[in-house]
Amino acid sequence: MVNTFQTRDKELEKGLKERTGLVFFPAFDWAISPTHPEREERLLYTRDQIFEEGIMDLPQIRQYQPRLAQAKDIARVHFCVPHIESQATLAHRIAAGGALVLADALMKGEIKNGFALVRPPGHHAMRVVHGNRGFCNINNEPVMVEYLRQRYGLRRIAIIDTDVHHGDGTQDIYWHDPDVLFISFHQDGRTLYPGSGFGNEIGGPLAQGTTLNVPLPPGTTDEGILFVVDNLVLPVLEEFQPELVVNSAGQDNHYSDPLANMSFSARGYAKLNEKLAPDLAVLEGGYSIEAALPYVNMGIIMALAGLDYSLLQEPDYKPEYSREAPGRLEKIRVMVEGLREVFSHREKLVEEARRRLGPLAQRRRQIYYDTDQIREEQLETLRVCEDCPGYLTIKSIARGPGGRNRVYCVSIPIQACPRCQREGREKYQGAIRKSSRAYDHIYLQDRVADEYGQYNHSTGDISLG
Amino acid sequence: MLVGIDVGGTFTDGVLYGNGRILESVKTPTEDDNLQETIITVLDDLLRGRKGEDIRRLVLSTTLVTNLLAAGQGDEVALILIPGPGLNLRQLQFFPQAHIIKGATDFHGRITEALDGEEVRELGQKIVAAGIEKVAVVGKFSQRNQRQEGQVEEILLARHPHLKVVKGFGVAGELNFPRRAVTTYYTAMTQDAWGEFAASIKRALVQRGITSPIDILKADGGTMPLEASLNSPCETIFSGPAASVMGALALTMDEQTAVVVDMGGTTTDLALILQGKPLHASRGAMLGGYYSHVRSLALRSLPLGGDSAVRWTGEEISLGPDRLGPAACFGGPVATPTDAVNFLAGGHLGPLSLSQEALARVAHPAGLKTETLAQDLVGQVIEVLKDSIKEMFKSWEEEPAYRIWEIVNKQRVKAQRLVGIGAAAQAFVPILAKEVGCPAFVDHYSPVANALGAAVSRPTLSLQVHADTRQGSYYLSLDGIVGRCKGDLQLADVKDLARKHLRQLAAQRGIGQYADRSEVFLAEQFNMVRGWSTTGKLFDVGIKIAPGVIDDYKGV
Repeated sequence: MVNTFQTRDKELEKGLKERTGLVFFPAFDWAISPTHPEREERLLYTRDQIFEEGIMDLPQIRQYQPRLAQAKDIARVHFCVPHIESQATLAHRIAAGGALVLADALMKGEIKNGFALVRPPGHHAMRVVHGNRGFCNINNEPVMVEYLRQRYGLRRIAIIDTDVHHGDGTQDIYWHDPDVLFISFHQDGRTLYPGSGFGNEIGGPLAQGTTLNVPLPPGTTDEGILFVVDNLVLPVLEEFQPELVVNSAGQDNHYSDPLANMSFSARGYAKLNEKLAPDLAVLEGGYSIEAALPYVNMGIIMALAGLDYSLLQEPDYKPEYSREAPGRLEKIRVMVEGLREVFSHREKLVEEARRRLGPLAQRRRQIYYDTDQIREEQLETLRVCEDCPGYLTIKSIARGPGGRNRVYCVSIPIQACPRCQREGREKYQGAIRKSSRAYDHIYLQDRVADEYGQYNHSTGDISLG
Repeated sequence: MLVGIDVGGTFTDGVLYGNGRILESVKTPTEDDNLQETIITVLDDLLRGRKGEDIRRLVLSTTLVTNLLAAGQGDEVALILIPGPGLNLRQLQFFPQAHIIKGATDFHGRITEALDGEEVRELGQKIVAAGIEKVAVVGKFSQRNQRQEGQVEEILLARHPHLKVVKGFGVAGELNFPRRAVTTYYTAMTQDAWGEFAASIKRALVQRGITSPIDILKADGGTMPLEASLNSPCETIFSGPAASVMGALALTMDEQTAVVVDMGGTTTDLALILQGKPLHASRGAMLGGYYSHVRSLALRSLPLGGDSAVRWTGEEISLGPDRLGPAACFGGPVATPTDAVNFLAGGHLGPLSLSQEALARVAHPAGLKTETLAQDLVGQVIEVLKDSIKEMFKSWEEEPAYRIWEIVNKQRVKAQRLVGIGAAAQAFVPILAKEVGCPAFVDHYSPVANALGAAVSRPTLSLQVHADTRQGSYYLSLDGIVGRCKGDLQLADVKDLARKHLRQLAAQRGIGQYADRSEVFLAEQFNMVRGWSTTGKLFDVGIKIAPGVIDDYKGV
């Protein structure tokens, strides 16, 4: 038949798969407040730099437009109080949607890796969201990871948090999930927000060792951070064998960041991404908007696209910024060894926990929302199950300038056994039936059925999506 | 009377327009190595029996610069780049012959590394020793601070005053250093050849008593006066497709959303008109295989036309990409897609028997019925065009956006009409329109729409102002213009500033009467916050006179 009308498209398509996908969404019309670090100007000089460099004209790069994340994409991860619309503004939904666009492109084989250069950031947003914490409402990486799990059937995923602040939100969301490896290295919580992320935070009882935290001394340099990558992150990844690696890519380890005290360089960031070779990277914090971001963002894009970054350098860079003090390196080495020990014994740790614990394991916490000045008290109860990671119920009371909110949440993980799924759903139904005045809202998150419900006590409305 | 001449790769078309109608039209083969001869021949044919002084406007769309670039002719140019830190241009094979020198400027226009004067002097000697007289010097962020480009020029001219130096900032001030380098390099390369061409055309016209303004059609669908073109010869490339799109606009004269299908013998060009405005490419035109800062229409070119040769290779049937002559039904040697349409429609284009015989010569050895072959051929051409149209809309919808409102308000658009232009449009566009699901528009003037488009296109001008109140300065993306501004500048002031400069530049170019048609297409401001207080503002304002038809053209 007539079929020889050849276009170059086939050839081009083949080449496209070698590309790095880029979503650049600087949200030039969004700010927390006019002079807040998370303001319109944040990615302005990054835009200047990457546009002037012309890097998006290169055949190695394919630019994508973000889309709006759907309510369901967010409900898969968060219990938003009182509802999704109140926590996820358009800007949040576009930032998360930017990550989803790249996830699709990656799974369709259009790109070899991708970088969602988006704001607002998300890694301090926990499972329950009463307001903004650490500039975050909606956690972009988990929204993307849960989408990938539902849509494409992925299970084992690694999230490496390279922001200078502990990724406490992401840690909270995957605390009980043994199939998501979460590693965060950050400036020591004794010296920086949010004040957590210590070496002994290694995950919930049935997911011990798949959360790893490396609190680094202030002043840690390229050498120290890359030591952690070489000696902890890469060997652990090698053993964990994830189907996908995500870089939660904060840029505030940079030596010029005004909100932190580390000494990482743009070329250090490039090297880190070259070594880590994440499938997807999502921008998190970084507030040195002139001295760091334009160069760090270039570095990440260049590393992901396999471009030479040896000529990339901040105008004020000095080689001593990258050299580690011997004492600090020794401290880091000790920490790294301890954590590798934890990781290699993780199965034993979980076994012991199962033996030690009764049918339920509880954790009581207080969570502070710095941006919105909300105090939350949480009681989390895990069903300790023989066959799966167990379902979770959360009672949470939040008090802040907006008043008081009391919620009850049921979260059924994607790996839940039929019994846990049934029991979890019964808990949700039971709480609604009782309909006591104890809760303003009752939530269900059933990741097995991909169903998400909410009951509003004052109106009596029940929604299921 | 207005004259429009569109020099194409194969044919040159000309029209003479007056009293609301096309008075004459001419088509003649293009002589690539003597374009001015071709142009003058067409002009003389159009004017036969008329007076040159009655011409009020003459617009040329030419392939001269396109040909120079394709053949790698033009002057030899030494390209000097001041990239500073960032991408490794050597690894990217970006102009492997370029001279990369020390020096750097950052996004605020701060010089972060000084030039090495000795390095520049040595380079100057090397350039002169190689017998090169043209130099293009381009710095990263040179629009934010022109000093280092200027220093290089000074140093070079101090020893070698005969050198001609073209600076990047004066050529293109928008962000994107590689595109600026490309545009500057090719400007330096083609400037003299274009200047000679322009002068010889001008002489020939004066000899014929034509004293009217001479305008040159640009890739963006607008015109510029011949004098203005001397500084920016690269703007003249790809004006042929622009002529067709403007022709489509001139024939329809309304604000519908349309696909322009310019189907010639060997190629088909597709373009979009969105609510009466031709769509521009988000990246600049390709020059010598690189993106440039030359604004051009968003086009999709397919190696497929009404005369693409249909052959039996012994294994399969091939279609194009070459043309051996007109369709068989117009006396050509082999079967073509046009013959397939003609055969299926019972000979509405030309003698049925000629198409049938030519098709049969391919169908029989392939073991096909003539009718099956004809249907396959038409089906395939339509399929390819339809897919390309779909992709065009899709890629327009997928243009990146950087603000919330742009993403929320992004609308899907649908073609309200297909406008057929070019020789093969009559045969294919009605069928294609049926497939796409909208009406077809093929006018009897469609075959000369390109020349009409040239004749009646109005001038365009586009510029951006970047103002920084902390530095108290602003610059224009055009002509290397800079100025001082006050610390309390507001967005409205910057818009006024942009309008003022547009008026001045339009007046200098002799297109002042169109200055009040300008529209602001970009208006953004950012507070610069240091610590917790605002220390200044940054503004970017873009203003343009968009493509359209001249005031006294009211349609045909």
